[in-house]
Amino acid sequence: MQKALLERLAGIVGAEHISWSGGDLRNYQYDGSIDRALPEAVVLPDSALEIAAIIRACNEFACPYLARGAGTGLSGGAIPERGGVVISTARLCRILEVDAINRLAVVEPGVVNADISAAVRHAGLQFVPDPSSQAACTIGGNVAENAGGLHCLAYGVTSHHVLGCEIVTTDGDIVWLGGKTLDAPGYDLLGVFVGSEGTLGIASKVAVRLMPVQESTRTLLAVFESIDDASRAVSDTIAAGIVPGALEMMDQRSTQAIEAFVHAGFPTDAAAILIVDVDGLREAVAEQLPAIAAICKRNNARETRVAADEAEREKIWKGRKSAFGAMGRVSANYYVQDGVIPRTQLPQVIAEVEEIGRRYGLLIANVFHAGDGNLHPLISFDEDRPGDVDKAIAAGAEILRACVRRGGSISGEHGIGMEKRDCMNVQFTPADLALMASLKHAFNARGLCNPAKIFPTSRRCGESAHTAASGSLPEAVAAAAGPAF
Amino acid sequence: MAKLKLPFSVDLPRHAGSRPRIHPSECAAYSIAGRIPKVAFSPRTADEAAKVIDALRQEGASISVRGAGTKQWRPPAPRSIDAVLDMSRCRGLLEHTPADLTVTVAAGTPFADLQSALRAHGQFFPCDPVFAAEATIGGVLASRSGGALRQRYGALRDNVLGMRVCLSDGSTAFTGAKVVKSVAGYDIAKLFVGAFGTLGVIAEVTLKISPLPAREALIVAEFNRADAACDAALQIAVSPLFPLAATLHDARSLRRVRALGAPDGVRWSLLVRCGGTQAAVQRQLDGVRAICGAGDALSMISIDADRVPHAWGDVSELAGGALYPAADYLCLKIGALPSQTPAVIQELAIAFDQPEITAHPAAGLTYAHIPAAETESGLASLESFLQKCAASDWNAEFLSAPPPLQDVLLQPVPLRAPLRLMRRIKAAFDPTGTFDAGRFMAAI
Repeated sequence: MQKALLERLAGIVGAEHISWSGGDLRNYQYDGSIDRALPEAVVLPDSALEIAAIIRACNEFACPYLARGAGTGLSGGAIPERGGVVISTARLCRILEVDAINRLAVVEPGVVNADISAAVRHAGLQFVPDPSSQAACTIGGNVAENAGGLHCLAYGVTSHHVLGCEIVTTDGDIVWLGGKTLDAPGYDLLGVFVGSEGTLGIASKVAVRLMPVQESTRTLLAVFESIDDASRAVSDTIAAGIVPGALEMMDQRSTQAIEAFVHAGFPTDAAAILIVDVDGLREAVAEQLPAIAAICKRNNARETRVAADEAEREKIWKGRKSAFGAMGRVSANYYVQDGVIPRTQLPQVIAEVEEIGRRYGLLIANVFHAGDGNLHPLISFDEDRPGDVDKAIAAGAEILRACVRRGGSISGEHGIGMEKRDCMNVQFTPADLALMASLKHAFNARGLCNPAKIFPTSRRCGESAHTAASGSLPEAVAAAAGPAF
Repeated sequence: MAKLKLPFSVDLPRHAGSRPRIHPSECAAYSIAGRIPKVAFSPRTADEAAKVIDALRQEGASISVRGAGTKQWRPPAPRSIDAVLDMSRCRGLLEHTPADLTVTVAAGTPFADLQSALRAHGQFFPCDPVFAAEATIGGVLASRSGGALRQRYGALRDNVLGMRVCLSDGSTAFTGAKVVKSVAGYDIAKLFVGAFGTLGVIAEVTLKISPLPAREALIVAEFNRADAACDAALQIAVSPLFPLAATLHDARSLRRVRALGAPDGVRWSLLVRCGGTQAAVQRQLDGVRAICGAGDALSMISIDADRVPHAWGDVSELAGGALYPAADYLCLKIGALPSQTPAVIQELAIAFDQPEITAHPAAGLTYAHIPAAETESGLASLESFLQKCAASDWNAEFLSAPPPLQDVLLQPVPLRAPLRLMRRIKAAFDPTGTFDAGRFMAAI
């Protein structure tokens, strides 16, 4: 990186808020996915104006840049593959405004997800999106990835809970997309900005929607001898017109790993368990709980149990939320996949996942947002065993192909980033990708803002760096990945 | 824009799948603000639409996309129309698996047909648009005609999962997904919701649908003052009652709803639509009564469950819809913070003699109908009201304007609107300016 650019950046954020030494940079080379890449500098701005100045400086020097929150992302969205400048939102962590009667808050992008709900709980309100990493992940990252969570079945994902974003455009302009009032005139730029994985500009303020906390939330645990039965219980619940707050499934491999780790009270000899959060007015919850239990029984649940108190509820959810960590204890390495299918196809796809695991000789545990049809197969592998990494990646890609064949999607909530960019061709045609490329061009014509994400490279889906054969891409799509540096 | 010459140099019937209408008497049915298009096409599929678009673009024609044509009174009027693409024959349910809570439908499908097909499975697409009897689902989305049910079910665009669109270069593209959750690639479908057909044509849509509430009820609380009614609506919205919707109407507007009406002497009525299990509905009714009672409601009436759907259908039309003859009213939509709704209503009453007002207080959206006679005498009061809106950071939008006004009104542009990005989006998606260039806002 040119010294002149470093000096400019230091002048903008102050010498104490910039780093370009090797040791510091290593902290910014990773996120929660498998990829790694070192930035050339990290800056920690304190305002939208500073972000704007950083972007203008990067433009002058044709230097790539990207924003980074807590680095908990699972698809490489915050990894600076092409080097350049990482713009950390760590200092932009203020809750600027809470307006209870209008049910909104305005926060800076570095505010931690869970802190928003904590700050508004006294008013009986909450910020609904609750990704498993909510104790660490930031709202800026949630906006970039359109994060989901355990409760999106009933309440939707991040984009449903964002009213507006002040963004710094790739020209260095500061503009609001959407705002505190609804239905801002003009194109719904906010709708497309949320979930754009940091490739269309950088959010500098976020106006979030707050929702009243439900009067009552009860949790039901149902135990099944087969995944098919549990899946049918899920479909039957939805078909009966009940949309629970959350509807989660775990297979036996997951519950065994969890029990060895946190002792959530899950039976380890059952093929599948369902966790159902029923929320709403007390009387409605009291009506729906037995109805769901009856549906589970009809589908051969061997046991249904309602958490007696808040402590038992928390224990169950703690078990669910620690599923990924638990897999990390029983397996040398694991690779979390994220695919979506129509929920009625669950039994067939789970069988396919099992078959894929057998074919590759890899154990795959399944934890998923069953109500949404959002699968999270956890593929166990050992990076020290030759060929295992490639096998895990290839098996993951096969799972994604199976999801697309069933009419689903290659990502429900983790994003495309670097991890899945070469699988975009599986789900989208060249014309679909060309439309995305034209959108990217409208926001990010220079391609310096978080380059090399989302759009396919010349590799094929499921190929890793050393198994890749080169292919060809339509020109517009190839260009959308951004210039090489 | 080059002028479209007749006859075409390309063989349009071959592309169209259906006979193009070129006879003036047929084209007159598609006129907007007195402008008659030179040709109209009614494709039956997305592919046919794409071929027509490609052929017309090559001729340098401008294209105006249309569903049932219920919202063509929106200003500004087009300067001229070369071709109309009538999507109303591109209709039908394409995929529906009830337990997946998703449906894929051709964009020209009448909204009412979609709802009745879903209702047969105990489901519905949770929005209550204006012109619900005639509008197509594509038109509902293109005009962002969501309605008051967003209070419980989210904004219209939040329930759009995927879309097949036809672009001005003759291509078709799919964006989004056909499952309830996807973050694969840019969610471009959201841009087409509310774009009024200026970025491309919505040909097919995949929607997230909901189970019909097991029970419903409607409660009408009558107030003397708008601010007391708004206050009650906001208290309901921050409570854990979660009713489906709440709307506020002045007496004049509510009298248009035959099933309800407003008794003499009542000035404001707050309607709260409750829904859920039987016990939940009862709790909602009790909770709404308690909040309204503490907030100086004069009286409260519950409407029988079996009369709710019909009455609500009319109530929805009060937000710029079918209960106001378009030739007789100017319809304004004002967006503000929910707590500012009383101030919006007050400013409307200052600016106009006889505004009829409907508001969705929890959303901060207010709809005002101004009799055309009031605006004929001069636009001064309208201008001063719009200035007030701009000064207060309220968004104003014209939903419809009677013919002479439609020619002179431009959509107000908020001071801080990201116009540069919007112009780039238009240029990127429709570089030839084929789709209704200039009809959106700020000459986009």
